[in-house]
Amino acid sequence: MKPLYRSFAMFIKQIFKDSMLFMVCIAVVLTAFFIRFGIPAAEKFLCSYFNKEAILLNYYLLCDLFLALMTPYMFCFASALMMLTEYDENIASFLAVTPVGKKGYVISRLIFPAGIAFIVSVIILSIFSLTEWSVWMIIIICLLTSVSSVIITLFLFSFSHNRVEGMALGKLSGILMLGLPVPFFLTNKFQYLFSFLPSFWIAKLCISENGIYLLLALATSVIWISIIYKKFSRKMI
Amino acid sequence: MRTKSLLIGDIRFQFKYGFYFLYAVFTILYIAILYMLPGRWREQAAIIMIFTDPAAMGLFFMGAIILFEKGERVLNSIAISPVKPYEYVISKLTSIAIISTAAAVLIGLGGRVISNYIYFILGVFLGSCLFSCIGIILAVNIKTLNQFIVATIPAEIIISLPAIAWLFGFKPLWLILHPGVCVIELCQNGENAFLAMFILAFWTFFAAVYAWRKVRKSFKSLGGIKL
Repeated sequence: MKPLYRSFAMFIKQIFKDSMLFMVCIAVVLTAFFIRFGIPAAEKFLCSYFNKEAILLNYYLLCDLFLALMTPYMFCFASALMMLTEYDENIASFLAVTPVGKKGYVISRLIFPAGIAFIVSVIILSIFSLTEWSVWMIIIICLLTSVSSVIITLFLFSFSHNRVEGMALGKLSGILMLGLPVPFFLTNKFQYLFSFLPSFWIAKLCISENGIYLLLALATSVIWISIIYKKFSRKMI
Repeated sequence: MRTKSLLIGDIRFQFKYGFYFLYAVFTILYIAILYMLPGRWREQAAIIMIFTDPAAMGLFFMGAIILFEKGERVLNSIAISPVKPYEYVISKLTSIAIISTAAAVLIGLGGRVISNYIYFILGVFLGSCLFSCIGIILAVNIKTLNQFIVATIPAEIIISLPAIAWLFGFKPLWLILHPGVCVIELCQNGENAFLAMFILAFWTFFAAVYAWRKVRKSFKSLGGIKL
């Protein structure tokens, strides 16, 4: 376990040095404050301006979901960029032959950041959510968003040959978040065009609290992870 | 001639690493989103999309491009070749601005928001060059991508906030001196578009000169020895 912790400590040290960890935390807290206080204020203003009872109120849950997904997304994005830098500088291959090993490297760059992101997003969602959430629902949703964010790290690392492609794919990976607003805006059968996205099922789960959607969200994430992991694993060798 | 070769090289590089593919996907996505929005929101939404994405792409990608070139020792080769630092900067700015302008025009056409093509194209092209200059200025001194992303955040806020405020109706005339506001004014073909064109050209030129000086300095210190 010790080499593994060392490898993770190296990761934390590096993103601390880049101020990335600090910025990720600040960005998450700022967004949380914006959602908690800015959105209700905007709703009040818009309602009085347009003389309506509710405009944004129906989308409060969507804001909460965005908050739950943002923390793991940012942690995993930072992790992927660091892995790409390490790959470009051959550090990844060196670490794979040290006591850390390939498995240790994968755990310290994939599982640990997602784990921390899970804890942070649970805390953020408990404090700043706009709608009522049960403890179990917070834990389940944050777990699902953390698992689905691992796809981003895997995707960025596996399909980009260098940092430039990593940034380009990083932009493209934002599409994985696109599933969140779909069930809120598309209520006909066309919404199922997005059923390959875990975020789509996460949003469905929040709207109707049906256990089937939990399984589907988990299944789509696991399918994505298992497909991309093969490529990821080949690249690591 | 050298600038032309550099430009072709940069365009090839960007094509190879998926910039054209990426912006083709995003352009289609943005146009689809524009069509889903109510008609009265479309113009502002299209301008925000153009301003924050294709126009600002240089700021987002320049760090990755320059770090990659540093890693592959491309800069070392360029530094000892007859290529001048200003040619390198011009090639980088133009190659990115071509993609930005093409994507912006397509989004503008898709959303039917272009009322004056000359101002629109000039606004996006110069705006893109300005963002790329800031990207170069930040990128020459950094070592990791995460560092670059962190460094771009203040620049993005300083350029975007007044511009977005202007778009939503906060329009005191002095704010036209801000380069981001000029981009919005040109894209919208506003009352002060003519003035904005000169102000934006000035800012872009100023930023390009600063970027050139930074690149010249960095070329002289490549390989750990200061010349």
